[in-house]
Amino acid sequence: MEYLQFIVIIIFSPLIQGIIKKVKAAMQGRVGPGVFQPYYDLVRLLKKEMVISGVTSWVFRATPFIVFASTVAAAMIIPVITTRSPFSAMGDVIALIYIFALGRFFMALAGLDAGTAFGGEGSSREMAVAMLVEPMMMLSIFTAAIAAGSTNIAVIAEKQDIFYSPSHVLALSAFIVAVVAETGRIPVDNPDTHLELTMIHEGMLLEYSGRYLALMEWAHFMKQMLLFTLAVDIFFPLGIPAATGLPGLAASFGIYSLKMVLMAVLMAAIESSRAKLRFFQLPSLLGGAFVLALLSLLTYIMMGK
Amino acid sequence: MKNWIQAFSVIDFISVGILLTAVSMNALKRLESCVKVYTLNSWLLASLIAIVSFMIGEAHLYVAAALTLTTKGVLLPVFLKRIVRQMKVTRDDEPYINNALSLTISGVLVAVVYVSLGEGIFVSGFSRNVLQISIAVIVIGLFTMITRRKAITQVIGLLFMENGLFLAGFSLTFGMPLIIELGVLFDMLMGVIILGIFVVQIKRSFLSTDLDKLTTLRG
Repeated sequence: MEYLQFIVIIIFSPLIQGIIKKVKAAMQGRVGPGVFQPYYDLVRLLKKEMVISGVTSWVFRATPFIVFASTVAAAMIIPVITTRSPFSAMGDVIALIYIFALGRFFMALAGLDAGTAFGGEGSSREMAVAMLVEPMMMLSIFTAAIAAGSTNIAVIAEKQDIFYSPSHVLALSAFIVAVVAETGRIPVDNPDTHLELTMIHEGMLLEYSGRYLALMEWAHFMKQMLLFTLAVDIFFPLGIPAATGLPGLAASFGIYSLKMVLMAVLMAAIESSRAKLRFFQLPSLLGGAFVLALLSLLTYIMMGK
Repeated sequence: MKNWIQAFSVIDFISVGILLTAVSMNALKRLESCVKVYTLNSWLLASLIAIVSFMIGEAHLYVAAALTLTTKGVLLPVFLKRIVRQMKVTRDDEPYINNALSLTISGVLVAVVYVSLGEGIFVSGFSRNVLQISIAVIVIGLFTMITRRKAITQVIGLLFMENGLFLAGFSLTFGMPLIIELGVLFDMLMGVIILGIFVVQIKRSFLSTDLDKLTTLRG
């Protein structure tokens, strides 16, 4: 049973996307598409014919599978509804971040591969943002990792008992900014548009169609849900630890889905209340979040909590 | 009530808030937001003093808290805001070091302060954390004064340093005698008013508050 917890991520990640879109629409006074719309989109894309540019190389064709597979691998090592997973021995948080980086690396290569202007633009921007986000994410996770004495996510989730201290709050706020940047949401990137010159994530996917696009989109939904799960595991692991057996797992799943919906509402609230930043203003935002993460680590070391 | 304050580590939160407001000063370009951040910093300082005086039950510290609130939390910000409006300069656009970098540098400064103070010689629960934070605030205030061009932002940096000094003194001695505190506050109020008049004069004779322009002599 515990082996299969990553299935939760694979199955429910489009739903989370749907919930975010629905809540966002409600906050903006629109009706919005139903929460299952991402599933319909994926099914439609899977049925469609693919158009692949003649100038592309094997990188372009391999990337959707690499991105999807690396995201599934990341889903396997993360504790979703129980920390007692056989895979969690490999669940190192640094490994997790680099598994994400592998997917991102190939996505950027594929963006460059077709040779369009938008693809190259998206790739270079994605890498610039990643360069700023990764150290900040690491630092905010390290605050929790030092507290737990381990970089294993399952151990962090089990040992995390301080929910209310300055370093915790600082690390959490830095991590939320990192999640917003990594999932390509509004102050950093606009997920709803293909038309603007400001796009980052969508720019790289512009050449994809049909099944490959479905895989890339699905991997993106999964990555988003994984980051939410990581935030929940590290900062609010209440209810996860050591849930085994069917009733325990069911209860843990209930708590988990509640937390996921809360994260989705938070993301929708951030997206509705902020305007998109100009790309060259991003270093200020991300640098500020980096300093928050640094201060959280320092505060933890100084105050010991 | 005392248990609640301890359980939710309110003192830690407020002192970290004081540090954060000082650091975030480096990220701001609009002068009005700089004044706002300073106001927030002073209010946090006053509430920290009030809470500590509640915890240790010293009545005269309430007076210090009230004085801090009225001078640094109300009078000075109102005065600074008036100057900002009078000058018709809304932004400090070109600091010597750009905002993202100066934020990072101020983070590094905090690290340097923490490391160099280490365990410190004043290891007594309350004072240890707060002393380190107050010295970090002093250093960041100094850094703000170095990196900013406009006279107003330099004055605000000076005020941040003063807040840090006040906090340092408070964390070591639980408040100096009232008469000294009164003197310091009055001194600072006068100092800022004089600086404010200077700033207006600079603006009038050089048509700019950019302090680089002061290198050319006019007689």
